[in-house]
Amino acid sequence: MPSAARLRIALLAHLCKGSLTHFPYGKHTFHMDNRVRELRATHDLSQGQLGDALGVSRQTINAIENGRYLPSLPLAIAIARYFGSTVEQIFVA
Amino acid sequence: MTTPTRRHGFRAASAIILLLGGVGVAIATWVGGSHGWAIAAIVAYAVLAGGAYVWAGRSNDVAALMRGGGDERQRGLDRDATAITAIVMSIAAVLGALISIGRTGNPGVYGEFCVIGGITYAVSLFVLQRRRH
Repeated sequence: MPSAARLRIALLAHLCKGSLTHFPYGKHTFHMDNRVRELRATHDLSQGQLGDALGVSRQTINAIENGRYLPSLPLAIAIARYFGSTVEQIFVA
Repeated sequence: MTTPTRRHGFRAASAIILLLGGVGVAIATWVGGSHGWAIAAIVAYAVLAGGAYVWAGRSNDVAALMRGGGDERQRGLDRDATAITAIVMSIAAVLGALISIGRTGNPGVYGEFCVIGGITYAVSLFVLQRRRH
């Protein structure tokens, strides 16, 4: 193989390597329990109603309740404020 | 602090993109001399666009993204899916370049894809790390 071609592929491999280093899923996925379902039931709200109140979809409320999604800090604070509670009281590591 | 908000998007967004893509494919095919395939392409894309418009009217995650909307989790799903797609395409480009070099001594168009991908990644990283997320 010509040296120029070897050099070029080495450069390409180096440049492409960056996108292979941070796979979005892995063993370091963090899990937290939460009391969102319990609080929602206490306030007699559907997932859709809570989602509308917080500006997110029903599916996102469902994902949070089932531990499949950790909300962002602003959303966690919005949930806490909505229920008149604190983030620490709702989300438990 | 800003309260997280859900973007509702535009129902016809995906349909319009499909139609524009279909028109592009049809024009290229027509110019290439395959008039029958050009008409077939535009009909196929129109049918797909109709399906996309109907699907985008639903309330699930995919429909929200097809409207160009969605909340933080749905946009995160879109980002992750985009990242996985980029990883797979990067692997395909690198493998293609290696195979092409093995055959012809030149990475060919795969090499250009690798350069574009690598430079885009580096520039994106440079720009994004300076933005407030």
